[in-house]
Amino acid sequence: MSGRVVIRTLLVVAVALLAQMTVLLDIRVSGASPEVMYLIGIAAGIVGGPVDGAVVGFVAGIAADLLSPTPLGMTALVGTLVGFGVGAVSGGVAREVRGLPTLLALGASAIAVMLYAVLGKLLGEPQYLHVDLVAVVAVVAIANAVLAGPAVRLMRWALEPSADEPAPSRRR
Amino acid sequence: MAKAVRQRRSRRTLATFLVLVLLSVTLITLDETGRAASLTSGLKSLASDIYSPLRHGVNGVLDPIGRFFAGAVDYGSLEAENQKLQDQILRLERQHASDVAGQREYAALQRLLATERLPSIASLPAVTAEVTAQNVSDFAATVNIDKGRDEGVTLGDPVVGPGGLVGVVVTATRATATVRLLTDGKSAIGVSLGPQQAATLDGSGAGRLLQIQYVPSTARIFRGELISTSGLQGGALPPGIPVATVTSVHSVVGAADKQVTARPLADLNDLTYVEVIQWSGSS
Repeated sequence: MSGRVVIRTLLVVAVALLAQMTVLLDIRVSGASPEVMYLIGIAAGIVGGPVDGAVVGFVAGIAADLLSPTPLGMTALVGTLVGFGVGAVSGGVAREVRGLPTLLALGASAIAVMLYAVLGKLLGEPQYLHVDLVAVVAVVAIANAVLAGPAVRLMRWALEPSADEPAPSRRR
Repeated sequence: MAKAVRQRRSRRTLATFLVLVLLSVTLITLDETGRAASLTSGLKSLASDIYSPLRHGVNGVLDPIGRFFAGAVDYGSLEAENQKLQDQILRLERQHASDVAGQREYAALQRLLATERLPSIASLPAVTAEVTAQNVSDFAATVNIDKGRDEGVTLGDPVVGPGGLVGVVVTATRATATVRLLTDGKSAIGVSLGPQQAATLDGSGAGRLLQIQYVPSTARIFRGELISTSGLQGGALPPGIPVATVTSVHSVVGAADKQVTARPLADLNDLTYVEVIQWSGSS
């Protein structure tokens, strides 16, 4: 990643975190609120492939973990796995196919929330499976599906070179 | 040649992925085992210190937008709340017309004041704080408050709201703090039921009833009984703070303990202002 890409990516993560902790926290449906920090890694996976997906998913996850009362590293681990997985599955074609980023965001977000709950249970936090998991999965997945388009455009702005820069090869 | 390049890229991809997974697992282990708790909580505290003013500023601008969307997706409950408030206005108007009702209101206020001036905590210094965010994570029942270390808030301080105990401070930055609510799955409070019976009150998730553990099957417990902090657990909390009321008691044949549930006295879903009792520093 070039310096410009790092700065732009960190800017996107910071803006997403700010939105997450302010405006999105006020949106509660059945006690659950959207979680866009997973979406950043998913969008990076769609745009840049598995490595970008994993790295951005990790960074976004760490940022969320630092401001959350939950264990440090949990969101980062889930973000890494989901970002990598989406990058590997989409194979660089997802952003070209209409509607596919939305479907990927929907499915990957649902998997991310369930993975998070199971990880919590494995780490001795049984209440993670006691929350209204169906509501949390539905809210996070639908919100991220709706926001997938703008998120992919943002990550394209962050990860792809501008016209005057040489295009790096896609990392797999 | 092309195959070798592809293999090298594939190995690098896998290595990056594994390093990130390993890093995450290491952080989780350090945080969960408490071996580097000071490091991880220090990092969280630093991040919060940097982020809080930013969030405070942005909140002022973005709050109306958030509330607009919140209203849009939660129209049903807003309508119900509106109806409830209209009913309340009607009731208050009737109460206003009656001296008797006025006295009742006065008594309710006195009860609220009595909660905040319990003998056990009346002598302790307290800080009034505003709740700035509720349930930051869908998986933890916490609230953020606008007072931190600069105001004398420290880890483990009990937090009291209208009605009774709300929770305990789990992280404190310079200007903010996070309070773990009674309903959080990690919450465990030493309580007493009646004069003799000590027990533990465990949270089991936001919106769920509290579970009272270690109540012997021979203990005499009744629905509606008041539960207060015991002052045990090595003096983690001052004794005598009202916490919850018993909602159900079940005896299981052959079991050594009763199954007892309780409801918090304070409305944990509607906290605006709370009182942080500066107990940890003074004890």
